[in-house]
This record gives sequence, C-alpha cells and structure tokens, in this order.
Amino acid sequence: MGLAPTITIHVPGPLRMYCAGAAHLSISAHTVRAALEDLERSQYALYRNVCDETGTVRRHLNVYVNSDNMRDLNGVDTALAPGDVVTFLPAISGG
Amino acid sequence: MADRIILTIGTKKGVFVADAAKPRRSFALRGPFGPGVPVYSTLIDTRGTPRLYASSCNPFFGMKVLCSTNMGKSFTETKSAPAFPKDDGRALANIWALEAGADKKDLWCGVEPASLFRSLDGGDSWDLVPGISNHEHARKWQPGNGGLCMHTIIRDGNRVHLGISTGGHYLSEDGGEIFRASNQGVGAGFAPDPYPEFGQCVHKIARHDDAPGRLYMQNHGGWADWTGPGGPRPDIGVLRSDDYGQSWRSIAKGLPSDFGFPIVVHPNDADTVYVMPLEGATRSCPGGAPAVWRSENGGESWSRLARGLPRKQSYFTVLRDAMDIDRLKAPALYFGTTTGQLWIGREGGEQWDCLFESLPPIYNVKVAIV
Repeated sequence: MGLAPTITIHVPGPLRMYCAGAAHLSISAHTVRAALEDLERSQYALYRNVCDETGTVRRHLNVYVNSDNMRDLNGVDTALAPGDVVTFLPAISGG
Repeated sequence: MADRIILTIGTKKGVFVADAAKPRRSFALRGPFGPGVPVYSTLIDTRGTPRLYASSCNPFFGMKVLCSTNMGKSFTETKSAPAFPKDDGRALANIWALEAGADKKDLWCGVEPASLFRSLDGGDSWDLVPGISNHEHARKWQPGNGGLCMHTIIRDGNRVHLGISTGGHYLSEDGGEIFRASNQGVGAGFAPDPYPEFGQCVHKIARHDDAPGRLYMQNHGGWADWTGPGGPRPDIGVLRSDDYGQSWRSIAKGLPSDFGFPIVVHPNDADTVYVMPLEGATRSCPGGAPAVWRSENGGESWSRLARGLPRKQSYFTVLRDAMDIDRLKAPALYFGTTTGQLWIGREGGEQWDCLFESLPPIYNVKVAIV
C-alpha cells in the first residue's frame, strides 16, 4: 500500500471544543477506519464523541465521505482518495 | 447563602437549577445547562463546597458528566465520563445514578448497561467496579422499558445496595468488592417463576440513616390479575426489608396500585414513606387524578395526599428519580412530571403547588439545603 492520501476531516460546530476549536483537520489515511484510528491517537477527546468505547461509530452519527454516507459505500472500510472530505454529522433524530 | 433550598431538575432538554430562601415562597430558575440533551441523573454534593453534578446523555456524541462549582450558574464537563474497557464489548448507553462516596471527591455512578463506576477525583476519571459490573449474572440481566439500568446506589458503611432494572437488588457487605443478589420476597410478574433469584424489575430503593436495616422498595407491580404460569402476583410492587435487604415483604395493601417508580423516605422519621401510585398498564395517574400516598407506620397503612393537585384529566408519569424531599423540620416533597410540571408538596405533602408549569419532560429531581 502506497503513501496514505491526505484528506480533510470537517468537524461540526458542537465538536470543535474537543479539538481546540479546529473546524478542519488534515490527516493521511487510506480508509475511514484508518482516519478514525488516527483521530483516536491524535485527537482522543474528539474521537470519543464520534466512536464509543468499542470503536463503533455512534449510532446517531453519520459519517460522510464527500457527499456520500459511508454506510452506502463500504462502511468504515470505504477507501479515501487525496482531497476527500470526511464529515461527521448528527443524524436527524430526536424530538 | 446559608440555608437555601436548591433543586436540580434533570430533563429531556438539559438540567435546570432552582433555588429559594428557606420559607420556599418562590424559586428562581436558571438553565437549561447542557441544553437539548437528556439528563437522567443529578447529584447535589454537599460535602465541603457544594458541587452540582449532572449526567448529560447525548444520543449523538455520547455521555458526559457535567459539574458546577458555583451553585448552578454554569456547568463544565469533567475530564472524562465512565467508559467500559475497550475489550469489554459493552458501550455506555446512559448514566442513571450519581452518588457521593466516602470522601470529598469519591463519586459512584450507575450506568446503562447496568454497571457501576467509581471516581476518586470528583468525576475526572472513572474505574469500573468489577464485583457487580462483571458479576456472573450481569450478562443475563434484561433491559426494562427504560433500558438495562443501574439506578440506585445506597451506601451504608461497608454495605452497598444497588437497584437494577431489570436485575433486582444486589448487596455488598465489604464496601463494594463482592456483590450478591438479595431478592428474597421480591416478586417478578414477567417471568414464570414469581420469585426468581435475580432479574426483578426494581424501580427504586430508599432508606433512612436512623434505621439502616430498614429499606423500602418500589418494585415493578401491577400483576394482580396475571393468569399465566405461576399465577397472580398481587402486591409485589411496594416492599419493605427489616434485615438490611436480606429479605423483603409487601407493604402495598391499601394503595390504589402497587405500580409506580419513585419511593422516598421522610428525612426525620424512618416510618414515614411516600410513593406515587400509577396504573400499571398506562404508567399514568389512576383515574387521571394524581396523588402521592404516604404511610406513617412503615407501610402498614396509607393515606392519599392530593390537596392542590389536579382532580381530573391528568395522565402524566412521575419517573423513578423525579421525586425527592428536603430536610427541613417540616419537609417539602418535590416531584417532576413527564409533562414538565414541577410540584412542591409543603408540610410533608399536605399542600401541593406547581412551581414550574412548562419545563421539558422531567427525569430527575434532587433537593438539598446549602
């Protein structure tokens, strides 16, 4: 496997307090899973808002790769390409 | 700021704080803090400088523990919330109980799925308590309608009583190292065996410091007419123990329903206990007429307290942690409803007034004198 592509993580407003206010993070990862693992190492507080302690993406959180929900692609094994934007978005739920 | 009554009100949309001077004529409300996020547990920690704690159970981003050191003017997250070890396989779904431990920074926390955590630094870090969390029964407990929750933590020296829905009452006599199911006399209506070793849907347990061997339990009642295997189970909903929770007996006779969620003991009289009977099928006020019921003789008989409460067309629910009593000489009861009203029952529940009419659905009410 070659050099991991550089991608952008878009951090929604409610989560920016967990990564020093950053709206975007630039990391290198071949897949969404690798991106999450990078966050677990480099931005643990942010990571714990996205994934529970088993490493599963939280049920009411959607992860988009560009404009596609990762669940419609290949889940956390979705491959990433240079310039991709990964976005964490709360699901439409609650009341 | 001495002798103020302070209330923490956990709701579906955050935690509110209300306070009043001692006569309790009028309460000032502030909040919501942690807005939009359900708060199932709060703690008014009066050891030393008062601290207010609230669980913030965010369905999107996970659980947080909030803490206020300025009497509820603002809250901040503690450095971490309870979390299962990564290889455990369980994930925290909710925080149902926050209780003070032995020293000033010792906190105990009951969670869903039913497990116990402990913090020795005021909630900044948490450790799983394995004696109950990894108990041989733990993977056999089943969730009730509210989830598989550990909602009651009562400490009495080296005794620790835990209430689990649906798991039952568990007792440790060595400070929380080893726990055993202690449910003799505690019935279950939803299993063929009416008195199983464990698995009961305990709703809440309460006790009084002056009578440590006496415990009161609101169990999941409403099974008087059950006709399936094991036969009917009347009066299993309200129980009393006189031997530190080793065994339990019904004290439900005289109540309009043995179903309910909260149970509260008078601060100055261990014989006086309060429940809020609900219809078992609907979890709402019997006949649409809410009332708190009081026993002044340890559950031998009951009287209805409803002066000032609606007389009809009220179908709210009062949840397990949504009723409390203050510790003044003539104490007041407080309960919050799933329809967002907060009621005060002055003179031990003799006269009821609505303090706040339109809060979000209320999950938790705690009161303290600070």
